[in-house]
Amino acid sequence: MSEPESSVDTTEESVSSPTPGTAAAAQSGLDTGARAAEPIIKSRGIDVFYGDQQALRDITMDIPEKRVTALIGPSGCGKSTFLRCINRMNDLIPAARVEGELLFSEKNVYDDDVDPVALRRKIGMVFQQPNPFPKSIYDNVAYGLKIQGYEGDLDARVEEALRGAALWDEVKDQLDSSGLDLSGGQQQRLCIARAIAPDPEVILMDEPASALDPVATSQIEDLISDISEEFTVVIVTHNMQQAARISDKTAVFLTGGELVEFNDTEKIFENPSNQRVEDYITGKFG
Amino acid sequence: MPRNEYQSELAALRADVVSMSELVAERLQMALTALEDSDEVLADRVITGDSDINQLYLELEKRCTDLIALQQPVAGDLRFIAASFKIITDLERIADLATNLGGYAKRAENNVFPSVDIQRLGEETLSMLSLAMEAYETRDRGLCYAVDERDDDLDALCEVASDTVVRELIESDRADDEIEAFMADVSRFLLTIRDLERIGDHAVNIAARSLYMIENNDELLY
Repeated sequence: MSEPESSVDTTEESVSSPTPGTAAAAQSGLDTGARAAEPIIKSRGIDVFYGDQQALRDITMDIPEKRVTALIGPSGCGKSTFLRCINRMNDLIPAARVEGELLFSEKNVYDDDVDPVALRRKIGMVFQQPNPFPKSIYDNVAYGLKIQGYEGDLDARVEEALRGAALWDEVKDQLDSSGLDLSGGQQQRLCIARAIAPDPEVILMDEPASALDPVATSQIEDLISDISEEFTVVIVTHNMQQAARISDKTAVFLTGGELVEFNDTEKIFENPSNQRVEDYITGKFG
Repeated sequence: MPRNEYQSELAALRADVVSMSELVAERLQMALTALEDSDEVLADRVITGDSDINQLYLELEKRCTDLIALQQPVAGDLRFIAASFKIITDLERIADLATNLGGYAKRAENNVFPSVDIQRLGEETLSMLSLAMEAYETRDRGLCYAVDERDDDLDALCEVASDTVVRELIESDRADDEIEAFMADVSRFLLTIRDLERIGDHAVNIAARSLYMIENNDELLY
């Protein structure tokens, strides 16, 4: 496969080089080696069209494994569209058409032999509005496992997922209560527990904290950092400070569906290479 | 342009830091004149006026912290505010050193070391301060390096001046009843030279922070 050329600015700590895992490591330019950083997702010249309208243009980037990658940009720039390309959620939109290659563990997810449902078990998703099923807390988490025909210890797995989502201590005595009875922040953590229960490799998050208050937001942010020890997280956020706080890498999309700069988050927010990115993140437009 | 008020606050901060530097330069010039003319009244004005500079410093410091807390600046804006935050500290320290010079002026009797040209050293520091602030105001990277180079010249001049004072001390054949006053003059001169040299160092700090602000370059900070 040939590597398509890209105009994306990835100067200095290039996406193709080993990716520093922490701010300190990024500063020293060293890879601590403590956490793997090989790309798990490779986008190669992805174009997306909604009918005649082109929503994404030639997106080429590598998303590192077990890191948090933030996608930021003004409304309509295509960042959510790109997120949805990763687990083929755009298949659900009849007019949507995807061109190019989206490699997950080196396999193009748009190949004919890929089952989107199976793919989404590997690449889970958390949405902007918490959307628990109208079922018990327990069943919300166990639901996906049951569908998969999980044969292990279901109770243990549910507890593990709820602990992983930092919710267990708050709900362990009310597992039979409805998930809808929880607060907004708890509901979102329940959705995260539901997403991590089938043990996916990647979790996509589309503005997961934008409907939450500051305390619940900070709990979700802490949780994202924690789960990135085990999972690759790709998050779309309108909150640039949130991207700066929680992500290792940041991709900046600008109007027209263009990926303008992709680099270490520290680099993006301290000294971006691209003037349009500087203007966007300092609020001069957008 | 969105965030108009924020952009106005950044522009006002830059203008007010420059104004502070002009006030500090004015005080430094007054202190040098007081030294030259042994003018106690002028020296007192420098000393009592330092509280104004301190007040201005605290006000600008608060504006920097408010901008960081309320506007969450990033990228070039963040570097500008971080640099301004550090630069006002250097300006405040220069004003303190000008106050020291005012104190030396009040104790000066006569120019006992005519071969040491304090005014020349003073003019050099004023010029470096002016250049450093021009670099900050106009975002001129070349001026940042120019200030750094000028500091080598100032250091050399200060070293020669100190050596001259010490040599005259060693070669002095003053009578016992004069030696105490002479020793006081020597230490005052050495402190004056040291303070001027430090003002040059603060000017370099300002240039270094300006270079960081302009292009994220920390080369002059080390």
